[in-house]
Amino acid sequence: MPSLKQITTKIKSVRSTRRIMGAMKLIAAVRLQKAQAALMAYRPYSDAYRDVVLNVAALSESEDHPLLRIPEEKANLHVLFFTSDRGLCGSFNSALIRNMQSYVGEQSGVFGNIKLSFVGRRGRDYFSKSGVATGKYYTGVNERNSRKFSEELAAALTEEFRVGESDEIVLAYNHFVSAISQRMTFERLLPLSAQKSDSSATESSSDYIFEPEKERIIGSILPKYVQVRIERAMNESLTSEHAARMTAMENATSNADEVIAKLTLLFNKTRQAIITTELMDIVNGTEAQKGGNE
Amino acid sequence: MAEKLRLKIITPEKLVFDGEVEELVAPGQMGEFGVLPGHVPFLSVLFPGRLRFKTEESGENTLIIHGGLADVKDDTISILTDQSENPEEVDVAAARKDSETLQKELDELQDTEASEREELDRKLRIARARVGE
Repeated sequence: MPSLKQITTKIKSVRSTRRIMGAMKLIAAVRLQKAQAALMAYRPYSDAYRDVVLNVAALSESEDHPLLRIPEEKANLHVLFFTSDRGLCGSFNSALIRNMQSYVGEQSGVFGNIKLSFVGRRGRDYFSKSGVATGKYYTGVNERNSRKFSEELAAALTEEFRVGESDEIVLAYNHFVSAISQRMTFERLLPLSAQKSDSSATESSSDYIFEPEKERIIGSILPKYVQVRIERAMNESLTSEHAARMTAMENATSNADEVIAKLTLLFNKTRQAIITTELMDIVNGTEAQKGGNE
Repeated sequence: MAEKLRLKIITPEKLVFDGEVEELVAPGQMGEFGVLPGHVPFLSVLFPGRLRFKTEESGENTLIIHGGLADVKDDTISILTDQSENPEEVDVAAARKDSETLQKELDELQDTEASEREELDRKLRIARARVGE
């Protein structure tokens, strides 16, 4: 049985860990609230932008713009993988990485080369050792700089697709469903023409009026579309990360409470045992003395 | 044919307006255009400028938009813009000053600097829309 001193030390250390986790939970909750509000505001815009672009793409020929090019063969796949920079967010990263692994496994049968680029340190840390080709790597993305990062990334990815370095570009990120649920999503960013199956595509292009002419419109909205979708993915991923961290920290806090309760019980039991032992000693001692007097 | 148009004005920060309007006038790149119910499908790139629309409840409304896209389909208009402003909340004097300095800069610019010219032109249009010219 441990000594009382050992137990008190242990309780103290669990208490201080609990305090840190409680604080982290509160921070995550505040950041989640902010990120969620921003995400909810961004969703209508980015969805509407996608609808417009898909509509235009459906009404266009692949020769109209380099970004509408339909690759002749599926040779090079480029996946942009969104994870978090920091840990202590439960199974957020491990679940993403596990899904990513099986995705790479599936796609390696279709594409000759698969390249991964990363937003977030955790994904890169894992895959840099796994033998998969790695491309760009961004860290330190947050709500305030996501536009700047997404512009930079969009420019690089668009250029890559334009020159034919990649035949397909996919965004892999956690889609924020609610504070307790996030779903990993693989979104094909380019080529656009592969997404033509929409019902809106039935309209013929002669009914649609474009101002200025279609080619100019495509040239100005397609690069922006790429940026908007990347920024959306960043926002989804950041919001999911805060939600995951909040849940994880909440679990950790209640686990710590449990441990503290158990240790306190052990402390009381031990103290009682010591008292009982001491009493027994006294009683035994008195009994022994009585015997000696007779 | 529907009697009313549904108008949605969306920026990355928020849904600025979502409701029924009777007509809309927007600053298209090929000049201002109006949309009435029953318009054919139409997609236009917008310059920064003033967007005017009429609703049953509040009459004539004006919004300053910083460029963007207008998509008209099935009597629904989606305006996608980077930013929108209420004309009443704008500092007109400051905007007028901006507009003058930008005009000067634009005049002095060489023909070769096309992207810079575009950016200046954009800023100038925003400033002018603020002034209300």
